[in-house]
Amino acid sequence: MRNSKHAIPIIQSFHLFGITLLLTSVVILNFRMLGIGLRQIPLEVLAKHVWRWATAGLLLAVTSGFFVFLPDPARYAANKSFVTKMSILAVAVLFQYTIYRKVVGAESSVFEPHRRILVPLVSLTLWFSVGWAGRAIAFLG
Amino acid sequence: MLLLDISILLACHAIQHTTWATAFRQADLFFPLVEGAHILSLSVSVGLILMLDFRLLGLGFQSEPVWRIMDQIMPWAIPGFTMMFLTGILLFLAQAESVYTNSYFRVKMLMLLLLGVNAVVFQFKYYPSLAEWDKVEAVPTGARVVAVVSLAFWMVVIACGRLMAYEL
Repeated sequence: MRNSKHAIPIIQSFHLFGITLLLTSVVILNFRMLGIGLRQIPLEVLAKHVWRWATAGLLLAVTSGFFVFLPDPARYAANKSFVTKMSILAVAVLFQYTIYRKVVGAESSVFEPHRRILVPLVSLTLWFSVGWAGRAIAFLG
Repeated sequence: MLLLDISILLACHAIQHTTWATAFRQADLFFPLVEGAHILSLSVSVGLILMLDFRLLGLGFQSEPVWRIMDQIMPWAIPGFTMMFLTGILLFLAQAESVYTNSYFRVKMLMLLLLGVNAVVFQFKYYPSLAEWDKVEAVPTGARVVAVVSLAFWMVVIACGRLMAYEL
């Protein structure tokens, strides 16, 4: 794969398709929770549809990312931005599929308003940090 | 045509070698920041359009009328695309000559042009009668074709954006 001229760029494109699906879903759900967008669509409806796209996007990004990593593991392991990205990614996935999922699935009255604000802000920060750290791999090392 | 091509190339060459374009290219944080912003803007621009395409194809949000999806995503898609274009123009200016001669960049621009035409077709041919086909089964075949074209071409745009970096 290292020697193929096209393999990595093509896998990288799929990585971006996954990121687009995942981040768009994250943005939509969090904007809705914060009350700054898509207010006319009930949170339950958005959560039901968007969650599937988020999971599909995450799976695509992780799978393609694994194949970008595979031909060159030592170089990536030595890259500070890569290590940072993987660490934040682990926290983001854990957060998304535990606390976040619980808050999104709950009736609006169950959780205090500050959790409705804090939880989406944490989610947005985590996922966009993963994205920034990913972009830094190539430039900052 | 050849003359036009050479004139643009010369202009791009001049832009790339201005002191400010050189300063952009050489600044450590220019590419990670501007390219990062360009890529992450996908989530508030192209990604939102893909959600509308999914709805038109009956792949999601079936319980919501199409007009409501459009109504709800457009206030975010417009600033999102503005961010996308502004960061894209900056990236272009910093390396105008190398980008202009890049074949993936050319395919990307052609696709964007076709996506523009596709959006105009939707706006004028299908949008005016939107209220009549709000239910999933009622989406006209033409509007579904618009959605498929949008999905496919945006994927090519994203891929070309990624691929062109390997040729710069």
